[in-house]
Amino acid sequence: MKTHTKECVGQALSNAFSRRRFLKAMAASGALACLPGALLRPLTAEAGIVYEGDYQTFRNACPRNCYDTCSIKSYVKDGVLQFIEGAQESTYTRGGLCVKGYAYTRRPYEPTRVKYPMEQQGRGSGNWKRLSWDEAMDKIARKVLEMQEKDGNLLGLGMTKYSGNFGITNYVVEGMMSSLGYTTRFTGTPCWPAGIDAQNYDLGNMWCNDPEDFPDARYVILWGVNPAWCSVHSMKYIYAARDRGAKIVAIDPVMTQTAAKADEYWQVKTSADGALALGMARHILDQGLVDRDWVDNNSVGFEEFASYLRNNVTVDWAAELSGVPAERIKAVAEEFATAKPATIWIGYGMQRHVNGGATVRAVDALVAMTGNVGKVGGGARYGHLQTWGFNYHAMLQKQPEGAKGVPGKTEVKGDFHFTGDQGEVSYSDRILNINKTAQEILDAQDPPVRMLWVSCKNPFSQDFDRNKMQKAFDKLEMVVTVDNFFNQTVEQSDIVLPVTTLFEEWTINASYWHYWLSINEQAIKPMYEAKSNIEIAAALSKKMNELSPGSCTFPTEVDTKEWMVKEFNQNIYDQFGLESWEDLREGPRKMKLASSASWSTLEFGTPSKKYEFKSELCAEHGHKALPEWKEPREPNAKLRLLTPHTKFAIHSQFNNIDWMQEFNPRPYVYLNPQTASERGIDDGDTVRVFNDLGEVTIQAKLTSILPADTIMMYEAWFHANPYNCQNLVDDTAADMGSYKTGQPGVAIHDQFADVARV
Amino acid sequence: MTKQYAFFVDAKRCIGCFTCAMACKNQYHQEPGVHWRQVYPLNEEIYPHRERAFYSLACNHCENPTCANVCPVKAYYKREEDGVVVHEQDKCIGCGNCIRSCPYGAPRYNPVLKKAEKCSFCYQRLDAGLKPACVQSCPVEALQIVDLAEFDNPNAVQYPAGFPRFTKLNPSVRFILPEQPRMVTRSDV
Ligand code: SF4
Ligand code: SF4
Ligand code: SF4
Repeated sequence: MKTHTKECVGQALSNAFSRRRFLKAMAASGALACLPGALLRPLTAEAGIVYEGDYQTFRNACPRNCYDTCSIKSYVKDGVLQFIEGAQESTYTRGGLCVKGYAYTRRPYEPTRVKYPMEQQGRGSGNWKRLSWDEAMDKIARKVLEMQEKDGNLLGLGMTKYSGNFGITNYVVEGMMSSLGYTTRFTGTPCWPAGIDAQNYDLGNMWCNDPEDFPDARYVILWGVNPAWCSVHSMKYIYAARDRGAKIVAIDPVMTQTAAKADEYWQVKTSADGALALGMARHILDQGLVDRDWVDNNSVGFEEFASYLRNNVTVDWAAELSGVPAERIKAVAEEFATAKPATIWIGYGMQRHVNGGATVRAVDALVAMTGNVGKVGGGARYGHLQTWGFNYHAMLQKQPEGAKGVPGKTEVKGDFHFTGDQGEVSYSDRILNINKTAQEILDAQDPPVRMLWVSCKNPFSQDFDRNKMQKAFDKLEMVVTVDNFFNQTVEQSDIVLPVTTLFEEWTINASYWHYWLSINEQAIKPMYEAKSNIEIAAALSKKMNELSPGSCTFPTEVDTKEWMVKEFNQNIYDQFGLESWEDLREGPRKMKLASSASWSTLEFGTPSKKYEFKSELCAEHGHKALPEWKEPREPNAKLRLLTPHTKFAIHSQFNNIDWMQEFNPRPYVYLNPQTASERGIDDGDTVRVFNDLGEVTIQAKLTSILPADTIMMYEAWFHANPYNCQNLVDDTAADMGSYKTGQPGVAIHDQFADVARV
Repeated sequence: MTKQYAFFVDAKRCIGCFTCAMACKNQYHQEPGVHWRQVYPLNEEIYPHRERAFYSLACNHCENPTCANVCPVKAYYKREEDGVVVHEQDKCIGCGNCIRSCPYGAPRYNPVLKKAEKCSFCYQRLDAGLKPACVQSCPVEALQIVDLAEFDNPNAVQYPAGFPRFTKLNPSVRFILPEQPRMVTRSDV
């Protein structure tokens, strides 16, 4: 990592900061003005602590795009956040968070925060100079006006944003862009689009059972999902199912922590999950274990699917492709088909492949043919957006009079994109693929993308092909990044704006997995000069209108609390049994569900209103109508490279927090001892992982959790470490995603590399 | 038998998530490098897959605490009502006897205060009717608090492999051993 100015982070980087020294340093820097009242009292083992009543408590919610989206209760004294816990009211969190959640207490005070607007003299130089908010806005506004002047429109202004902060008021970043004019938007989603499309073809929507009904399942297959790391609060429900007699099967290329807790673990060959699912389906068909009633009454196309299976699929074929012995495929297929209800949790990893959408369709079919869709304790579980019916007021801003863009109407899509009906429009935004951000910036013309606004996202550590990203950024005339920390994207920016942490702003958070809704209250005053995205939009608008009246329609004065009211509607109130949004200040609320099962009425969202084993729509979109086997990507290096999440971070977030570094000090590449010995690598050796795109130098850890043809590195930005797995991951598209999110997904796990000792 | 609280570590359930260790940090803001609770991966002789089974350990609040016995200034006391071993930091002179004598490594050196400190079983939380922070945080109930006077679990062991056997101290901790799934590894590599 480049050294930043002394002013911003220097002292903190070299010192391990103690609590007391941290406060002392803050006092010296004058920052204590932001910490009203007394200091954190030294909490020693025997210091008297009183709980309720001794603190002011607030409601917060984790906005980091994790399944669990935990409701947080925050304890504040003298304006300082003292500690947090999970909300007791939520049966999902039950008073707990995860390891990342508990590190939050440190986040607002983390010494390496971006404290003020800053400008960098030379991207990547680390030569940062403090700006006032007014100066920063002036520089940005002048650039916007310059582009408008030069191009006659604002399509040179690009915006990339995703899930770094999922609080719904952050849609204001999109709103801010609209209030300036028609701009360039990076849309789509890197996470889960292939699976979303697959579920839409099969079921007519992506909609999962309440995870709290896992205990009703008699059989659970966890397929390409690692809740022990990525959804810790779901694990208790899976354990509860087992305690009540269910068998837990985990299928994953890697023996994940979840796999280690299962009753049976299958080490499937990466990207061969579809073959496995079809092999199981064939066996169920042969054994006469299809739920005929369910299939006859609630589905279309089953006969065609059955004859596809008979003509093209055998269990031995599936065993050959997947590496799972035929005998186990048969046994588990029979167990799954006869246990009622049985369920499969489909992880987002298994669809990050060139055959990912087809794979999810094959797994859906397995659940449907056994009659487990629409049942409590059953279901093909993937995700849902049932609790996301907000107004998205923050997003819906009007373009200034006379704004020009791309002629005609283009439909902005995205999994969490909620635009209102634009009606008859003469212009629209320019839409580029978020999964090919680097390439799109390089290719865009008339006008080129001149300026990029980054918020809630860290493209340098999350997007694909870092080298290409560097080339793309080099082409940009101005990069403005809004962030909490000096991450790898900030290092490649001209201006960084300090944004509030969850404890310093108002917002609302919903989950795409469970059915709880949480308010996020401002619990402490913003530290240093941080502003929320809403306030940043207002500040920019003020400057734009100062320099050129009427150039921005965004309000110039805002009270972020008032924005909350604008996001709620009667529908949301009814769904959650709320009188007012303020009721959520008493604690999170769960949606009132007619049944914990999705599709319990068996009325599907497909054109036929039935479950579609055969989907004409899917065929129209250029895929197979049936959930057929699709070939995986050809390897282009010796070893499969997987870059999943670690338990200590979500993408690049949390790794940099000093508390987290205590437990997760450095990244590793994980390899099977056989892979290592073939290359003369010992445990702890420094190695080079490389492919056509680039390379990474990193320490090796040998482990039997991986097969010998696979290596693994966790995706992350590591504080004070240049490690970046995106040096090695290209932007090859997955098969599906365009239908519902506007862009195909990315084949993140169809990557290959080799490794050598240095 | 009088009441003796103990940590119950169910390694069959534990997912090694480190939530408990971080929850303790969140509650007490220990200095960098100081942990009162740690999550230890079991080595491969004990569990055949690296970093897939764990023991979450803190102070064991022993029946016969050596830390208290060796402290020259009586900075330790054992609570009669529940057996919790408390270290009173304001009495501590930082001599380090407790740190050297505890075979479980529970007392830690606070480099800033130059004194010892360790897990207090969150006795203030207990007194307020709450669970210890780490116990409350565990998302899978792998870490629990039990009273040994009443505890009766035939599957629980006091000294599993990897946990030093110091019977004289009689540590107040019980374990359930981790298990392995039926492993179906790839036949093609
Ligand atoms: S990262 Fe996930 S589990 Fe952890 S606190 Fe946030 S929402 Fe909860
Ligand atoms: S009981 Fe309290 S002090 Fe002890 S490890 Fe748990 S949280 Fe920390
Ligand atoms: S919180 Fe529970 S599951 Fe996680 S490491 Fe601690 S004891 Fe294990």
